[in-house]
Amino acid sequence: MDDKRRRFEAQALPHLDAATNLARWLTRSDADADDVVQDAMMRAWRAYDGFRGGDIRPWLLTIVRNCWRTSLGDRKRRGHVAMPDENTHLPGDELTDSGPSPESSAMRSDEGRKLDAVIATLPDEFREVLILREMEDLSYREIATVTEVPIGTVMSRLARARAMLREKWLGEVEASHAL
Amino acid sequence: MPCERAQQLEAYLDGELDAAGAAEVERHLETCGECRNAKAELERLRTALREKATYHRAGPQLRARIGASLDKEMPRKAIIRRFPRARAAFAGAAGGAMATALAASLAFFFLVPASGDPLITDITNAHLRSLASEHLIDVVSTDRHTVKPWLAAHADLSPPVADFSRQGFKLIGGRVDFLEGVRAAVTVYRHGAHIVNVFAWANYSEELPDFATRNGYHIVFWRSGNLTFCAISDTSIDDILALSRLLKGLSQTDARE
Repeated sequence: MDDKRRRFEAQALPHLDAATNLARWLTRSDADADDVVQDAMMRAWRAYDGFRGGDIRPWLLTIVRNCWRTSLGDRKRRGHVAMPDENTHLPGDELTDSGPSPESSAMRSDEGRKLDAVIATLPDEFREVLILREMEDLSYREIATVTEVPIGTVMSRLARARAMLREKWLGEVEASHAL
Repeated sequence: MPCERAQQLEAYLDGELDAAGAAEVERHLETCGECRNAKAELERLRTALREKATYHRAGPQLRARIGASLDKEMPRKAIIRRFPRARAAFAGAAGGAMATALAASLAFFFLVPASGDPLITDITNAHLRSLASEHLIDVVSTDRHTVKPWLAAHADLSPPVADFSRQGFKLIGGRVDFLEGVRAAVTVYRHGAHIVNVFAWANYSEELPDFATRNGYHIVFWRSGNLTFCAISDTSIDDILALSRLLKGLSQTDARE
């Protein structure tokens, strides 16, 4: 295997889960997410010579987001709108992934499912900052780079995303506890 | 009305404030009940997002797709360099689909034409020989406590062995085989109607692809410690990847013990 391939695999592939998670939350569809990630990884491979070092994760996630935007454009032109999947998990996922075991996912709380559903209803620009901050642990500056907006906008979108989430989710959880 | 420091509080919880800014927020929290409540809620929300919301991981199918796309981008040259050794003369008479059909009925034929990489040829031949029932299993056991010591004694190797019946891979035994003239420990699994041979051998420093396909058999390579592993079967590449992941997990556990 040549050297570039080895470096790329060592540096980029460890972040494949992060790329998949972002793509899945952006597209809200397993099949679309896989297409976006595949496209993004190949673009990253071709652009890899231009990667200037540093943390590769924001760079990769930027490509993932751009691929998603591109796929959205394609879809709009075709007059096709993706609907969120019913199930957030593929049946085979649990067997091989380091993710939740079948038991824990079977017992996955109602709370978790509700939370997934609430996140999926957030508008794109709020959902993406929330995922990048809370699941991918990116800094404001990194989120600003990935989403191509100023840091101030990242902060206000994040605050808005949290407020919406708090209202919809905590409200729902409290309502069900009160019963 | 929300406290005017609400956004500063979020920046504080996001670790974005410097020491002076953080100290200021902490002082403010002592006197502002509203911000204390907001902090508690934000922390609850964060815990929920990190522990309860679904984190989507890349499935084996996606990984395989990306691996295959990367392979296509590679310059067309032998991915594996030749391994110097005296090669057996292969009577490479049958090839392609016919090899698969013959494998069930013929014993001890070298069914795969000796083209391409010799290691992959050896692995495919060893797999076909084992399917031809002459030499599938030396030690028949579904118990890892039998198979593992047997391999240690006969192959001088101690690869991870476990029965993964629950995940669809039933351990059915082990044997010793030779790849490129080097002794390999083989663990044999049954997956539905398919046999999966998992070869393990030591001190192999040549480059290996992650995947290969020969005569309809999928081959997955990986390394762990000084051992090189190769799983081969005619089941789907996803299934083989699933088994390889289980075994990799086991290697990590073994290493910790």
